[in-house]
Amino acid sequence: MVIKMEDFEPKIVGFLCNWCSYAGADLAGTSRIQYPPNVRVIKVMCSGSVDSVYILRALLEGADGVFIGGCHPGDCHYLDGNYKARRKAVLMNSILDTLGLEKERIWIRWVSASEGQKFADTIKEMTEAIKKLGPNPIAKYWNI
Amino acid sequence: MTDKILKVKNGDTVTSVNNFLKDLLKSKKIQALLVMQEVPSKAISFPVLISDSDKLNSNVFAPVLPVSTASIISKITKIDSSSGPIGVVIRACQIRALVELVKLNQANIDNIIIIGVDCLGTFPVNVYSDFPEKESPTDFILNTSKKNIDANKYLRTACQNCKVPIPSNADIVIGLFGLDPKKELLIQINSEKGQKLLEGINLEAVKDTKNREKALKDILLEKNQNRSDFIKEFGKIKGIDALAKFFDKCINCHNCMKVCPICYCKECLFDSSIFNLEANKYIGKAEKKGLFKMPNDSLLFHTTRMNHMVVSCIGCGLCEQACPSDITLMEIITPIGENAQKIFDYSPGSDIEEKIPMVIYKEDEYQEVGEK
Repeated sequence: MVIKMEDFEPKIVGFLCNWCSYAGADLAGTSRIQYPPNVRVIKVMCSGSVDSVYILRALLEGADGVFIGGCHPGDCHYLDGNYKARRKAVLMNSILDTLGLEKERIWIRWVSASEGQKFADTIKEMTEAIKKLGPNPIAKYWNI
Repeated sequence: MTDKILKVKNGDTVTSVNNFLKDLLKSKKIQALLVMQEVPSKAISFPVLISDSDKLNSNVFAPVLPVSTASIISKITKIDSSSGPIGVVIRACQIRALVELVKLNQANIDNIIIIGVDCLGTFPVNVYSDFPEKESPTDFILNTSKKNIDANKYLRTACQNCKVPIPSNADIVIGLFGLDPKKELLIQINSEKGQKLLEGINLEAVKDTKNREKALKDILLEKNQNRSDFIKEFGKIKGIDALAKFFDKCINCHNCMKVCPICYCKECLFDSSIFNLEANKYIGKAEKKGLFKMPNDSLLFHTTRMNHMVVSCIGCGLCEQACPSDITLMEIITPIGENAQKIFDYSPGSDIEEKIPMVIYKEDEYQEVGEK
């Protein structure tokens, strides 16, 4: 099955923190702000709790992108979870760089509970960026 | 604290050090000693915990590292520390691992006296037990320190590219770089603990340290060169094609994780039932691509493990040694470790007070992350 580029609808797995980004996504919904349905949301208690294995499993199983949403720096419900998420992202980027894998498929963004519009805009922006990148090449590997 | 010289009798380096350690044990200042000793079959040396000086028949220079000595010390001290001090004779890489384990709250060295040994490198277990040269592996490796013999053909990859074979954070160092180990060894005293332990032990004063300083400089230069050449060569394993090929032989035994001193989790996520699915889910996975290899998730395991341990990776190479499929893991772990540690400006195992990068943060760092 060959998917034509213009028909390609990326699958994005989104990990949203309970306190900010998930509430932000909720606000986007209740405010009836339209955003691409490409993101599949998984609620987590904190962006800092998103272990590398969540991200890598999504990508290795064929997701085209992974989105991590957390509170703005300084606003973490658990004080420093998002600062730790930030360090984890830096480490993940370094490892993916060394391995020559596409770190562009992983987005981490700060979205507060009041930023429904920002959430919708960010998902739109990410969906378009992943569409440009094309399908995740890892998806076709059955031997990993 | 002045450094001392241990005179080697009859050119027998191993026995002279053994007698020195016997004296330490007899002095009763240490309750027990953890040291490499040959098993009765002589096939290999293992760390043994010895309390009776008559039973001590150690070989601290045996060029083999079957298991992580640091993990053993973690095992001994994790529940509580012993009532009396334990002396541990340990290689440079294993001290680094021990320092990381202390930082990870997995070992307690309050009652441990670290006796570091200058490391000439180690051979893979099978090379050690079936050593092809006429001499014993220990004699062979000791000779490389004075004659110009290239031991690299036998050394483990990790040892060829070792960052620092000279012990740091040790209370006492048994030094052989820059000395003739058939004649004398350096006993360097680095701490109060070490000083106290050596009181009353008969040692000579050091005369000249120029030779050693030069030898240390040379060995660090050589190893650094090896390491950067190695990283240059294998940093090229890039892209999913190359990675899939690299890990093709992985049988998902998780040995690399089990022997790793840094992988300390009581139960690894990958050994848990989280990856056990219902039959129909397996079929569902097959249907997604039409087929998939079983056991699966080997690349997920390796890439996740890298994320979890690589900042603290001290480069002992036990992962590679334990691989039954002979996957040359260090070719990937070394460049990844180097790059990740550079980003956080962190050198694992060097400073016991320095926090591990993944547990600390600064408010105003990496501000580009999360914004674009």
